[in-house]
Amino acid sequence: MSITRRTFLETAGATLASSALLRAEDAPVRVAIIGTGGRGSDLIRALTTIDELTLIGVCDNYPPHLEQGAKYAGPQAKTFSDYRKMLDELKPQAVVIAVPLYLHYQVAADCLSAGCDVFLEKTMCFTVDEAKKLVAQVIASKHVFQVGLQRRANAIYKQAQAMVAAGMIGQVTSIKSQWHRNNSWRRPVPVPKSNANWLKLERKLNWRLYKAYSAGLMAELGSHQMDVANWFLGTHPKRVIASGGIEYFRDGREVYDNISCLYEYELKGADGKPYTVRANYTSICNNAYEGAAELIMGTKGSLYLTSEKGLLFQEKGTDAVNWEGGKNAADANAAVVTAGKTLKLSNDPWAHRGAPIEIDIAEGNDTRDELISFIDHVRRQDVKTICDVNVGMMDCATILIANQSVESGGWVKFPSERRG
Amino acid sequence: MGTRFDVILRGVDAQHLEAVAVAVCEEIQRLDAALSRFNASSEIARVNRAASQKAIRVDREIFALLVRCEQAREMTDGYFDVTATTGGNGLMLDAEHCTVAFTRTDLAIDLGAIGKGYALDCGREILSRFGVNDALLQGGTSSVLALGEREWPIAIRHPLKPEEIVKRIALKNRGFSCSAIRHVHQAQSDIVNPHSGTSVSGADACVVFAENAAEAEIFSTALLAMGKEKVSRYLKTMADASLQVAWF
Repeated sequence: MSITRRTFLETAGATLASSALLRAEDAPVRVAIIGTGGRGSDLIRALTTIDELTLIGVCDNYPPHLEQGAKYAGPQAKTFSDYRKMLDELKPQAVVIAVPLYLHYQVAADCLSAGCDVFLEKTMCFTVDEAKKLVAQVIASKHVFQVGLQRRANAIYKQAQAMVAAGMIGQVTSIKSQWHRNNSWRRPVPVPKSNANWLKLERKLNWRLYKAYSAGLMAELGSHQMDVANWFLGTHPKRVIASGGIEYFRDGREVYDNISCLYEYELKGADGKPYTVRANYTSICNNAYEGAAELIMGTKGSLYLTSEKGLLFQEKGTDAVNWEGGKNAADANAAVVTAGKTLKLSNDPWAHRGAPIEIDIAEGNDTRDELISFIDHVRRQDVKTICDVNVGMMDCATILIANQSVESGGWVKFPSERRG
Repeated sequence: MGTRFDVILRGVDAQHLEAVAVAVCEEIQRLDAALSRFNASSEIARVNRAASQKAIRVDREIFALLVRCEQAREMTDGYFDVTATTGGNGLMLDAEHCTVAFTRTDLAIDLGAIGKGYALDCGREILSRFGVNDALLQGGTSSVLALGEREWPIAIRHPLKPEEIVKRIALKNRGFSCSAIRHVHQAQSDIVNPHSGTSVSGADACVVFAENAAEAEIFSTALLAMGKEKVSRYLKTMADASLQVAWF
């Protein structure tokens, strides 16, 4: 069974992947990119497929990455190793930033100061203080700003969020998500260990593994998934308790190779009374069994979400029985009623799932779609992007408090809105 | 592609080799996500949905790959054609704007006959960037790339009689591709002769050894469609003397 676009537009009032509504006379947006490593290259390839922009500059201070970025970008893009020089010389209208996390704030702040609209990869900032400063600067500058949490542009997630908002899975009571993989998360280094430059290059390429540059699994993976929880619940968590460590990849890394978090969200019911939604999040590096997915659990159903597939599992129960369907309907359903009760009481993990209904709208590519949406907002100078600086701030604080909790060993509250 | 790939590396630093192997696998996954016509979010699926209506801008990597496919089509007298199953000769490429458009409606690009080999060749670039020069990469058990000065033993199974090994070879610094006329469970070949529009019959499989994996895949596909007789004449006209062909 699958849900077609049409039935969904009718039932849930969802909006589909945004297509840029552009005036034909507008000149292409002049875009530059800072950071052309793995993610930067993904962004360059996507940018070069979008008609409404011209990629005029690429910048990276690591020559092999710059060379790769230039190859994907094409000859019209000038290359730079110093982003300040690029901003000065090219004066781009918009800048796409994909640098290591510890540089996010400084590079984004410099781009805003140079008068550019900014697309900043997730996680927005390395610290909550930086995030607060960036919020203030973005709002004061009135520049278009978007954080690269691409699930916000993914048709499946947009549909699922509309389904939750329309009450299709009842009251959301629990969220369970994870990103599980089985590899070392270690990037190769192009010189052997005996080379004098090895250590320097290792730190540069494997910045994700060291605390001076990285906030680990929570920032690189968890930020996407906790943003889904924030988005679907319409708020940020109140507090978190988390545990993590380096248990398997004891190879000199400093960030945890596994982490488990329990978040509490405080919501208000229709009756005005508060209730708590708990969200479990785990990320591990030595077993890929569950992969990357989010499970949104409500009283009437569950949504199982990945970037490529979205499934709705309706809770099985006796309320599915047709009591009104004619004279013998109740008789005919007697076995179903029994089975329904049996299922409701069963602890069999497979008993409650039923056949899933698939969200059948997986046509777009979310990285490309988030960039199309950003460029569309740049052209219209509309600051209400699909993932604005406040969303980025909320996501950033959500993942950073989990790391703080691991270190302090206790509950950590969501930081206050006040600056500093 | 949507098939199994193996990356076998030889060296002395296990941690380094593991990281390089993961980088190669990620590159292959990236290409699968971009090139597979079955994946609705792929670039090729995006082209297939819309290139009948207008010219579609693609990234430079995919454009270069399509240019190479067009060159291969010309070089093989049309026997290698990524639009063969939908009628063939269907691409209009614009290098200035990096766009692709279809010449007719109802066309679709299928990179199934080059994607695996191309992915292996991209894997080779990563290996050389990180100093690994002793390796065997394979995709879908039909495309293989051997790197280094050692010989890698390869057994070729008959595609229609999988229990039968028809040839044992030692592959050294070469790309290899085996194109079969059909799968064991297929009644008829899905390889189409672009000149007659009918499915190909004749030899069961064509094996090609070439400089790289994509080249091997292009020619194993084209020569199988061309048929044994025509191939012997065709090969005499070829400038590329490094191509070796076997049939069974």
